[in-house]
Parts: sequence; C-alpha cells; structure tokens
Amino acid sequence: MFILILFLGLLFLLPNRSQEAFRLIGDPVAGILEFPLKLTYSLKETLVGGWESYVALQHTEETNRTLTLEVARLQGEINALKEQIIITEDLERLLAYQKTVPMKTVPARILGRNVSNWYRAIVIDKGQQDGIAPEMGVITEAGVVGRIIRVNPRTSVVLLLSDPNVAITGMVQKSRDEGIIQGTPQGGVHMKYLPPLSSVQTGDSVVTSGLTGDFPRGLQIGYIQNITKADTDLFQSGDIIPKVDFAKLEGVLVITSFQESIPVNLPAPLPPPAS
Amino acid sequence: MTIAVYFLISVGMVIIQGTLGTHLAIKGVSPDLCLILACLVGFLAGEYKGLAVGMTVGLFQDLLSPGGIGVNMVLKGLAGVLAGVITHTISTVTGTAILLGMWILSIGCGLASLVIAIPNLDMTAFLHAVTASLLPKSVYNSLLGLGGYWIIRRFYQPESMLESLYRH
Repeated sequence: MFILILFLGLLFLLPNRSQEAFRLIGDPVAGILEFPLKLTYSLKETLVGGWESYVALQHTEETNRTLTLEVARLQGEINALKEQIIITEDLERLLAYQKTVPMKTVPARILGRNVSNWYRAIVIDKGQQDGIAPEMGVITEAGVVGRIIRVNPRTSVVLLLSDPNVAITGMVQKSRDEGIIQGTPQGGVHMKYLPPLSSVQTGDSVVTSGLTGDFPRGLQIGYIQNITKADTDLFQSGDIIPKVDFAKLEGVLVITSFQESIPVNLPAPLPPPAS
Repeated sequence: MTIAVYFLISVGMVIIQGTLGTHLAIKGVSPDLCLILACLVGFLAGEYKGLAVGMTVGLFQDLLSPGGIGVNMVLKGLAGVLAGVITHTISTVTGTAILLGMWILSIGCGLASLVIAIPNLDMTAFLHAVTASLLPKSVYNSLLGLGGYWIIRRFYQPESMLESLYRH
C-alpha cells in the first residue's frame, strides 16, 4: 500500500517522465481503441442517418405538401404584388400627368370591356356621383381614348376612339389642317375631310383641334399611317395609328372641365379711334 | 328561390362577359356569353324562363354598353323564347339540334345588333363584319352553348324537357 502511494506520488512529482512512460503504453492502446471507436461512430452515423432518412421522414410527405401549398400561395402573392406594382406605376404615371395638364380631370380605372357586341367600349369605375357626364372626353398620358357615352350612378361607359360611332375633330400638327377623326368597323382610326391641297404626310402627328367641346386643343391622337385621295374625291383621307393602345388600358382620366384655347371672357373691344 | 338563382346567374354572366370576355377571344372573336345563357335557359327550362333570363341579362348588358337601353334586352329575350320554342317543336332534342338552333339564333341576334349598332355601314364593311366577326362568333357561341348544354344535362334533367319527351 505504501509503495503504491509512493508510486503515485512520484508520478505527480515527475510529470514529464511519467507522461513519456504513459505515452509509451498509451499509443498502442489508443491504436486498439481507434478501430472500435471509428466502427462505433460509423455505425452510429448509419443508424442516425437511417433514422433521419427513413423513420423520421414519416412526416416529410405531409411537410412537403404543406410547403408546396405554401410556395404556391407565396408565388400567388408575389404575382399579385407584381401586378399591384404595375397597376400602381400606371396610376402614378396617370396622376403625375393629371397634375401637369391644365384641365380638371377625374382618374378612373377600367372595370370591363366590350360588354355588348359590335361596340368598342370600356366600363370605368366613376359615374354620376363623381361628376361624370355624357360627352366628356377621356384621355391617358398617351393621348385621346374616347368619349363618355353612358353614365350610371357609380360607373360609366366610354366609347373608344376606334368605334365607328365616335367622331372628334383633329388637326395635323405640322400642316395645321383639320379633319374629322372616326373609328372604323375594323377597329382602326380614320381621318377624313382633309383639304385636297394639304401637305400632310405619312408619319405626321395628329392632335385634337379643340373645336368640339369635349377635348381641349393639342391632345395627342396618333400618327398618319397613309394618305389616300381618289380622283373622284373632294377631300384627302388617311388612316391613323393611335397613340393609345386600347387593348392595354388600365386607367384613364375623364376631362370634367378645361380652359378653352381662346378665353371666353375676352376684354371689351377698344373704342374706335376718333376721326 | 328559382328567380333568385336565375337573377344571380344573369348578373354573374354579364360580369364575366365584361371582365373575361376579351380573354376568351380567339383571334379577336369573343363569345356572347349572355346570348348563350339566354338560349341555354330557353332550351333547358322552356320559353318563359328563357324570355325572363334573356331580358334580364340583356338589360344588364344594355346598362354597361353604349347602345340604347332595350336593344339587348329585346334581342336576348327573343333568343330565349325561340330557344324554348325549338325545344318544344322538335321531336328529339339532340346535340345537333342545339348546335344548329344556337347557331341560327346567334346569327340572327348578331345581324340585328350589327344593324342597330352601326347603321351607316356600307356593303363592303358589312360583308367584312359578317365574314370576319359575325360568322366566327356564331360558330364559337354555338360550340360553347353545346358544351354548356352537355355539361348541364349530365347533372340536371329539367322537367320541361322530360315533359317534352313524354309528350312526343
């Protein structure tokens, strides 16, 4: 017993030498331990892997289904938000334009299109209660859209410029020649009654002339696509490429009132000079 | 209850026509869902219900379109009545009968509304409208109507049709 205590005491008192002695003994022993340790570890890993891959995956199908639904829902939300962003950008652009134009306008959104046969029309979400009245002009930042034709309490029907029942006065911006702009049965826009000697050319810009009461002067309508004049015709006429894409309208501005190009309240005429 | 159901279907069909009608268009030709509804109700439930639903759906259509109020109401009501009369007149209501009936009604309705909507149409434009729009639209309407008829018949056997069959 005494010798054993002395031996242990010497081990503590002489740590370096004891460590060397232990290393001599320990290295082979460690070699013996390493193999079962690695084997046990790999077995454990296999078992845990198997558990996690098979046994613990019994709820994975359900989780997968839930997550798939969640992903679909989130993708739907993302699409809805993207759509909202596009609509918001369109409306922002429209509202920015509304602030720049010298007329009173009411912004409106499109609710429906072409409810009835043969008419090219849109339904907007503003009506009598918002100050909308028949014959008011409808525009976007791109140009003229059409004219209000029917007013309900909270909705209105706009007849598009491409409908044959719409006619407004227009003017070729470069040559200053005026004519009537009307929709065609095929859905195009046509300008007629252009003066026979007009120098109008393909590509010329066409704007509103302001002669009718629903549109002020100078609003964009489109570009001349071609000019025709038969020998028997008194006037020239031409097709117009409208600036507004009627199929992609999201929001419009209804012109409720505008400043006439020529002020109505002109100053009183000067008295004639005394002779 | 039946009146409320027909009323709701009419409202829903006008809304679908206004919002999704353009999305259903094939090469620019969109179906007249309201006419299809009026005809289907006429075929399946008789001329009186066809008249009522046709007039209701036509009135809603008129309220949301530029033409005069009453045009679609009368035309769709008439289509509903004639559809009901066709069902009572022919001995056996087959798919071909429905297809032909709806095609003829669609052409008639389309011609009448074309003349009313664009009164000053010259012959060239008229022929173009008929060949490019009216005829394809009528075919589209009749095919959709036939599809709707088959689907409804799978789940619903209206009494008026059974009576018609027994009578013959």
